[in-house]
Amino acid sequence: MSRKTRILIARLGLDAHWRGSIVVARALRDAGMEVIYLGNQNPETIAKSALEEDVDVVGLSTLSGNHMILAPEVVRLLREKGAGDMTVVLGGTIPPDDIPKLKAEGIAEIFGPGTALAKIIQFVSAKAL
Amino acid sequence: MPRELFQKTAIRGVRKNAERWQATCYAAQKEQSRNYSTLSGLPVKPLYTPVDVEHLDYMRDLGFPGEEPFIRGAHPTMYRGRTWTQRQLAGFGPPEETNKRYKFLLGQGATGINGVFDYPTLRGYDSTDPDARADAGKGGVSIDTIEDMRALFDGIPIDKVSTSLVTCQPICNITVQSMYFANAKARGIPLEALTGTSQNDFLMETAITVAPGVLPPEASFKLSCDGIEYCAKYAPRWNPISFAGYNYRESGCTAVQEVVFTMANAIACAEEMIRRGYDIDSFAPRLSFFFSSHSDFFEEIAKYRAARRLWAKVMKSRFGAKNPRSLILRFHVQTAGVSLTAQQPLNNVARVSYQVLSAVLGGAQSIHADAYDEALCVPTELSSLTALRTQQILQHETRVTHTVDPLGGSYFLESLTFDLEEKMESLLGEIDRVGGIVKATDKGWIHREIADAAYAFQRTVESGEQLIVGVNCFQIEDEVLPIALFDVPETLAIQEAKIVRIKKERDAAGVDKALSDIARACEQGKNLMDVIVDAVPARMTEGEITGVLKRHYGTWNPPLF
Repeated sequence: MSRKTRILIARLGLDAHWRGSIVVARALRDAGMEVIYLGNQNPETIAKSALEEDVDVVGLSTLSGNHMILAPEVVRLLREKGAGDMTVVLGGTIPPDDIPKLKAEGIAEIFGPGTALAKIIQFVSAKAL
Repeated sequence: MPRELFQKTAIRGVRKNAERWQATCYAAQKEQSRNYSTLSGLPVKPLYTPVDVEHLDYMRDLGFPGEEPFIRGAHPTMYRGRTWTQRQLAGFGPPEETNKRYKFLLGQGATGINGVFDYPTLRGYDSTDPDARADAGKGGVSIDTIEDMRALFDGIPIDKVSTSLVTCQPICNITVQSMYFANAKARGIPLEALTGTSQNDFLMETAITVAPGVLPPEASFKLSCDGIEYCAKYAPRWNPISFAGYNYRESGCTAVQEVVFTMANAIACAEEMIRRGYDIDSFAPRLSFFFSSHSDFFEEIAKYRAARRLWAKVMKSRFGAKNPRSLILRFHVQTAGVSLTAQQPLNNVARVSYQVLSAVLGGAQSIHADAYDEALCVPTELSSLTALRTQQILQHETRVTHTVDPLGGSYFLESLTFDLEEKMESLLGEIDRVGGIVKATDKGWIHREIADAAYAFQRTVESGEQLIVGVNCFQIEDEVLPIALFDVPETLAIQEAKIVRIKKERDAAGVDKALSDIARACEQGKNLMDVIVDAVPARMTEGEITGVLKRHYGTWNPPLF
């Protein structure tokens, strides 16, 4: 049997909202994945933990508006550490204009407010195959 | 002997007919759904009649506005005497920018200020801290020193306008409220003249907006009580705490949890103040509450009414309060941000209108109506103006304010109010058994309760049991956003330049002395606001003060789920 899909979930910077990240973490866990939940962290710690935990996907969450600075920083650090192939996704309050910019910076997918949990589960499972 | 409203024989007749109607008339028809309940899961019947309120003793259970048990209203005249305060939340970027927004809203008829702070300020960091830089100016205004506080309120008559400082976490409040007070003193305004509210809620720091490395619950709770004590001594018209049920609800609480967690928090604060030697009636009239107005129209109205009755009961039975003002639960309302959708954002104007209406029908003292773009960005000038106008239309055009508690006596509403209150009392008892709110937080009990409720709600959305227009029904494919979004103005560079300049200009020895005064007060277990109000004019930064506090109290990592 293949190993369980592993995903790390972290909230970026000082963002205060945990509801979305916790709900998504629980849904992924209930879908049979191994979820490592870090809470708030800076990009350096997130990248380091992602490598140590050998995850398939890194899920970032922020509603504060810090996404344009911190999310690409996580991708950059992963590449620097030789894990450029790790999938990074982002959830939260992301203005539509920022989505193409974030994708250009290497964020695989952005899940805005109101995204169905099923859609997130499907995306993460597909990436981990 | 209770004196019930209805004659026994009349009730018997209604009951018999209600049963007949249900079994024949109603049962012959089809229902659209198998599950009718409130948003918090209380069952809702097809019809309510006098049978559902047959136990009501009018004078004991409902009474009159401004009198016990206050269910019909906190004040005798309610909105005929004074309109609720229209207090639109505002804050972004450097203080100079937010000052303009405050003036704009006041110029457009807002009747109070509601100042929200950025993430670094709320967590006690300077804008320039390596962990904070990406969040400077985000979600609120950036405050680093007393100079920023001066700029934020420049030209605003703070002796006349009441200000709500949304200083969620005590670690922020102890410094930021001190800066507000010190700035008032510098402007020649005595503290006795200040009216307003600080949020200052330890649950915000330790359970609701958690992050690694916050103050431990007991320390955060201590700072919160220092603010209450300081105001009891020097600022009698200031509400030193606003139990932030709104935010608890946003995190996932049900209506029952929202009210009960605020009340358990208030009970703990009251116990601590009594331990410090204060009489309950000397501070209780200034304890204030902050609730959400969510989308279940009747449940929200019933929630506010039940909370008022429960608070009066708690203050009397647990604390023996004698001052009638100690028994009155006064609250600010914010419409539920979590109910807003990023999809078809103009629909939010409709949602917010209903939510403001339920707050007014529930007897709120002060209201913030959410702007339609809040699921996407910080509100623009247009969206915040529309939110303010939503309140003004309700106030001036609908005439719902013309009589007090217009829904009082509704069979459904009174029945729901009782049901909610019963659930609240039972949950309050559960927290008592866990050992009170501070212990319940320390053990992670609160965190688990909220996370469970949040997940349970999301599953109802996922299954389609809970419909949300534009999200899981009536979606528009490839929607083009019909509104312009707000860009937060440049903040970090401006704040950084100020901090660099101030650190050069200020008297370093004076700063060191003030910081060691704070450290000594920590050691001696003294009231820290006493020291910090006097210290902040030396222009130390918020982060420098936080540093002293964290060195003394240590930090705590809340449980993660």
